[in-house]
Amino acid sequence: MTRFEPKIVVFLCNWCSYAGADLAGTSRIQYAPNARAIRLMCSGRVEPYFILEALHKGADGVLVLGCHPGECHYLEGNYRTVGRMALLKKVLSQFGIEKERVRLDWVSASEGARFATIVNEMTETIRTLGPFEEKDA
Amino acid sequence: MPNTDHDSETLVQTEGKVGAVMVLGAGVSGIQAALDVAYSGFRVYLVDKGPAIGGKMSQLDKTFPTNDCSMCILSPKFIECSTNPNISIITSAKIDGIEGEAGDFTVTLLQRPRYVDEEKCTGCGTCAEYCPVNILDTYNEALAKLKCIHIPFPQAVPAISVIDPTQCLFALRKICQICVPTCKNKAIDFHQRERKLDIHVGSIIVAPGYEPFDPQRQSQYGYRRLRNVVTSLEFERILSASGPYQGELVRPSDGKPPQKIAWIQCVGSRDTTVDNTYCSAVCCMYATKQVILSKEHDPNLEAVILHNDIRAYGKGFERYYERAKKMPGVRYIWSKASIVKERPDSRNVVLRYRINGTEVKEEEFDLVVLSVGLNSNEGNRELAEKLSIKTNDHGFCESPKFSPIETSRRGIFSCGVFHAPMDIPDSVTMASGAASLASQLLCEQRGTLVEEKVYPEERDVRGEPPRVGVFVCDCGTNVARVVGVPKVVEHARGLNGVVHAVEETFACSVDAIAHMVETIKEKSLNRVVVAACTPRTHEPVFQDVLRKAALNPYLLEFANIREHCSLVHMGEKKEATEKAKDLVRMSVTKALLLEPLYRVSYNVTRAALIIGGGIAGMVSSLVLARQGIKVYLIEKAKELGGLARKISKTLEGEDIQDFLNDLIREVNENPLIQVHTETEVVNFSGYVGNFSSKVKIGKEGIIKDIEHGVTIVATGAEESKPKEYLYGEDARVMTLLDLDEVIEKDVDRFKDCNTMVFIQCVGSRNEEHPYCSRVCCSHSIKNALKLKEIKPEVDIYILYRDMRTYGFREDYYKKAADQGVIFIRYDVDDKPDIQTVEESGKSLLRVTVTEPILGQRLMIDADMICLAAATVPPAKNRSLSQMLKVPLNEDDFFLEAHMKLRPVDFATDGIFMCGTAHSPKFIDESVAQAQAAASKAFTLLIRTAIEGEASVAEVNELFCSGCRVCELTCPYGAISLEADRGVAVVNKALCKGCGTCVGACPSGAILGKYFSTEQILAEITAALAA
Amino acid sequence: MDKLKLALYWASSCGGCDIATLAIGEKILEVAETAEIVFWPVAMDFKYKDVERMPDKRIDACLFNGAIRTSEDEHMAKMLRTKSKIMVAYGSCAYEGCIPGLANFFSLKSILERVYEETPSTDNPGKVYPQTRVQMPEGDLEIPELKNMVKTLAQTVDVDYFVPGCPPEEKTTWLALEALLNGKLPERRSVISHSSKALCEECSLVREGRKVKKFYRPYEVIPDPEKCLLEQGLLCYGVATRGGCGAMCPQAGMPCTGCYGAVEGVIDQGVHFLTALGSIIDSTDPVEIKQIVDGIVDPAGTFYRYSLPVSLFRRAKSV
Repeated sequence: MTRFEPKIVVFLCNWCSYAGADLAGTSRIQYAPNARAIRLMCSGRVEPYFILEALHKGADGVLVLGCHPGECHYLEGNYRTVGRMALLKKVLSQFGIEKERVRLDWVSASEGARFATIVNEMTETIRTLGPFEEKDA
Repeated sequence: MPNTDHDSETLVQTEGKVGAVMVLGAGVSGIQAALDVAYSGFRVYLVDKGPAIGGKMSQLDKTFPTNDCSMCILSPKFIECSTNPNISIITSAKIDGIEGEAGDFTVTLLQRPRYVDEEKCTGCGTCAEYCPVNILDTYNEALAKLKCIHIPFPQAVPAISVIDPTQCLFALRKICQICVPTCKNKAIDFHQRERKLDIHVGSIIVAPGYEPFDPQRQSQYGYRRLRNVVTSLEFERILSASGPYQGELVRPSDGKPPQKIAWIQCVGSRDTTVDNTYCSAVCCMYATKQVILSKEHDPNLEAVILHNDIRAYGKGFERYYERAKKMPGVRYIWSKASIVKERPDSRNVVLRYRINGTEVKEEEFDLVVLSVGLNSNEGNRELAEKLSIKTNDHGFCESPKFSPIETSRRGIFSCGVFHAPMDIPDSVTMASGAASLASQLLCEQRGTLVEEKVYPEERDVRGEPPRVGVFVCDCGTNVARVVGVPKVVEHARGLNGVVHAVEETFACSVDAIAHMVETIKEKSLNRVVVAACTPRTHEPVFQDVLRKAALNPYLLEFANIREHCSLVHMGEKKEATEKAKDLVRMSVTKALLLEPLYRVSYNVTRAALIIGGGIAGMVSSLVLARQGIKVYLIEKAKELGGLARKISKTLEGEDIQDFLNDLIREVNENPLIQVHTETEVVNFSGYVGNFSSKVKIGKEGIIKDIEHGVTIVATGAEESKPKEYLYGEDARVMTLLDLDEVIEKDVDRFKDCNTMVFIQCVGSRNEEHPYCSRVCCSHSIKNALKLKEIKPEVDIYILYRDMRTYGFREDYYKKAADQGVIFIRYDVDDKPDIQTVEESGKSLLRVTVTEPILGQRLMIDADMICLAAATVPPAKNRSLSQMLKVPLNEDDFFLEAHMKLRPVDFATDGIFMCGTAHSPKFIDESVAQAQAAASKAFTLLIRTAIEGEASVAEVNELFCSGCRVCELTCPYGAISLEADRGVAVVNKALCKGCGTCVGACPSGAILGKYFSTEQILAEITAALAA
Repeated sequence: MDKLKLALYWASSCGGCDIATLAIGEKILEVAETAEIVFWPVAMDFKYKDVERMPDKRIDACLFNGAIRTSEDEHMAKMLRTKSKIMVAYGSCAYEGCIPGLANFFSLKSILERVYEETPSTDNPGKVYPQTRVQMPEGDLEIPELKNMVKTLAQTVDVDYFVPGCPPEEKTTWLALEALLNGKLPERRSVISHSSKALCEECSLVREGRKVKKFYRPYEVIPDPEKCLLEQGLLCYGVATRGGCGAMCPQAGMPCTGCYGAVEGVIDQGVHFLTALGSIIDSTDPVEIKQIVDGIVDPAGTFYRYSLPVSLFRRAKSV
């Protein structure tokens, strides 16, 4: 039987987490090929709606990675993300969706290894959970 | 500054000056200076002795006191430098000679060969994979290895390879050359020789930085002998996620995580035995930072800091220190430690130190960090000699009084640690100040040597059906050997809207770029997707391509198939190819929705409003007025001068009043400066380039309207009035400023004074003011020395918590001790006590304090007592902060945009701060900060127009309900509700394009350009479409 | 000229919408003048078979309220669609599922268990459940089947217009009726309301631009009657709800609960309100932000009170 390969959408902010992902690259740190990154300027641009859309369109998990608290290039954007994601997680669990399918975390520009670890962890977590399926009818 | 002949020269002599500046040293100071100079309209040569820019800051893990990731905040500046057409980065170079004078120097540089053609190398790194020679990685403080041909570190700028000729087999023995054929661009060139470059510049900014003290000079630390004794800089690399252990906190001997770490402070600082008597000013804080970060790695870790005075004197430092001190398992111990031995089995290190003065303790640690000081090395001395500028006894740059940035030679300025040991914000501040002085000097030559790129007129593509061109880069073999590039190209060809898809060996090579421009034109492409490396470094390169091809630069979309794909999925070619296809499809899908974007430009009112007429306000006024800017300087008091009016001399003995009077005279005489005393701002509106204020002038309260392009807040600080120690009750108890006045005007009062007691930290570092007032320790020392001069037989006691005479002020602390001033440390929980007692008909002030070494109460009968009262922000800061809509910190000082890299800027564009409005500081520091604030202001004011970001937010009024949610999320105050129409309006001059408001709008009424909801949803859909 | 033939029907609803149609007051006389009511089960005696007998498109307009929850709802929706020229989803239930739609947080099984076994007032030792077909001496009885998924009218049949509100405000109802009576109809599939923007636009409470430190439920605070309720920490849904109702609730001190549905162009009203709330929290401490968020009780129920069946997921993956 072939192993389930989860599809993961990752939102990266330009200044920290995207740079961290770049560093993972230049440092040749190997990680699971399941993630597809979308670059935004700030994690504050991530609308919870995007996350729902991603799941709705077939993603099995969604990662949102921003600058560490206090390090946001735009001062406070990542705090807005904290508030939204905290609420979204509560709502998702009321929707019966495993909260592990959505993860908010922080990666700085020097944390290439951390980026790789998070993507690997997420891939494994989602692999264990299995594909995301909406219930219908 | 007060050096008036210098200034007249600036104003009069215009002949033969060169509108270019050389910056020697490309650490954070040099980089900042280079950027500011370039933005002021001059050509810049940024020179570094190493192969990449970045300096020591690039090696740091995090920065105190915010724990900001060092590389996160620094690397964007690298890119800013490398993409600025007016900054030439010259690496691996040192100065050979200098001729000429201020305004017209010819500098000769010697540039070592890189053995790699800078024009041809794309930084792909393939050569390094084949190089058989491993060398020590100096970026990682020799804790790791890299190849003899290498890129210095992952984020290096310039990102091109370099060969270390001292270890290269070919350079040494004419064998090998394996690397040469591996380079598809034929960039490796062993024929390169040392080059001599003659460069004409009008001014030079010297910022060579420092070398960490080498602890091998003192055998007692066992450095290099004991594997688990490391320097603080080595420890930075150990902590760093990009360091030798990928951010795992492990020790060098066995790679195991340490359970117990000791920091030994003042290694190579405050130490007469190695001739470094000065304090290195940053070690207490970086050690504290390392403690906090280590505890983040392992919360159970035990940390011991063996220290002398803890010098947490900067903004936010005291709170940071308190935070570390309160962590479980953290012990700050006041003691000098020595290393006893290494345990042969575990290689643990045993330290011996004294506690409570007498008791000797031995303790074993897994790892010992030496907090090494900052030295000005032999290279700096040599540099100073070549430039004929004077250095002080410690080898740091000497500067004229009250002008820390000037050197002994006209036209040459210094900044950063080369001036004195200092932290990053002070370095950045000085750098901006240095830029400002260079800019003043070369005022008339502004704009003469800068170039602006000329592009063909943009083709209007609106309304055209999308014609997407996809360029997929092999990056030599970096992409191509993992990703099946032909398959990706094939996939791209089949995508909707794609009319051209092609494989490139190196998309960023000069030939490929020229070809790309032609292709765009030939095929009438109107959207371009580059599938290559990261847009963070290469977006500017390809945006340039689009502009050359008459396309709007925002019609470009990147697909990162290198860093995010081929380099990280090397063993999974099939998956990597699929991922690359997905990434290209995502980008193409987004590209279909791209629209041309334009920066909106705004006119600038060439005038400045400066609030506060103390030293900082006056200095910044002069910097601007001397360069032709109209200045409105308003002061709430009757006279200019501020707090400095009350102080006669500095610690170093310089006359403050002379300096102040010169300043006031020059301010009053300058026709461009309009001074209003007894004046306050009563209304403030507008935005960068276009502020309008109302000020209320004089007793009559005349209201005046002022239009200005920038605002500088220089409202100063005050000395607090103590509420303890009989202050106000007994005339013999006074504050430092009171004592200054007595020394100045009433020396007779010391006739009957045989014993004088100074009490430090009165009102500072307590619950009311949990910060250090920075200046009081030195102020007390100054007054103690003065008193000893007036009356040598007087007994002086200074009761202190930590003497914070950082930097070269340490020498005066030592001098006071040498002159018999007695220093007694007290604990905050056991403060000194004062009683008035009558003895033999004489009234005495009896001070009781616990002597820490003996542990006994000590009684001192004093004739006079001087309290080092806290420096506090004026109460009016609050209303001003509300009016200007700029924040205060928790102590009511103004809060800068970024503690490290934007120390004089507010988050709101066009508003700056300087002097003690920012935090307590010395006069020379205020001067440097005032120059920096003026420099920043000036870079805005000289523009004919201010350009906003192109990718900004835009409100669709048809959907906006005026709920104000967006306004709440904007940290830049760029959004406001237009009251009449009840809709939100984005001020495009202030919008930074973060998109937080776009994400927050519950009505979907805000368009985030370049990252629109539609575009992002398209990417999501495309990502999942496979 | 023939009078306009009007049908009104209630599917799974509370009856409020039917009452709301009467709330237009004396304007009902105008309706009576120009329209003929051909079907209105709640008020007049018609039988389903009367409708069945009508030729297709006999009815000019049908105001259909209620969600589609039972086989009967579905049957009637389809039948009325066939018989009507214009189908109007009238009221929040028909438009977006509304309160009946909250059933989508649960499975049919768990709802039945709850109702027929678990509630404290239930005594059902034999575990008797309603059946769709029961044999009685008088013959077979059939009652409609309850569906696992509550749907909106538009998820069942093609709908021409939507009238929002739980129930629609008088002026909204009149706006729709007037359009029907005068034949001046807006673009097909549009939502008929006086506003396409969020409610805040028509709310007179003063917004000062303040972030929220703590969220309250209405009984926990007495709000300042002049100021924006959301800024006072009440979960006023006005920021993410279509206006047109006149903002009577917030202006009377009760936070908007979102019954007019999403504003024009927004898909998934709930997640947009969620986003707005998450964005206005007055803290820069992640731990504190989470604590503040925890102060919101039943967030999904609050955000999707009226719109769960039209949300992206339409229902929970419930047990």
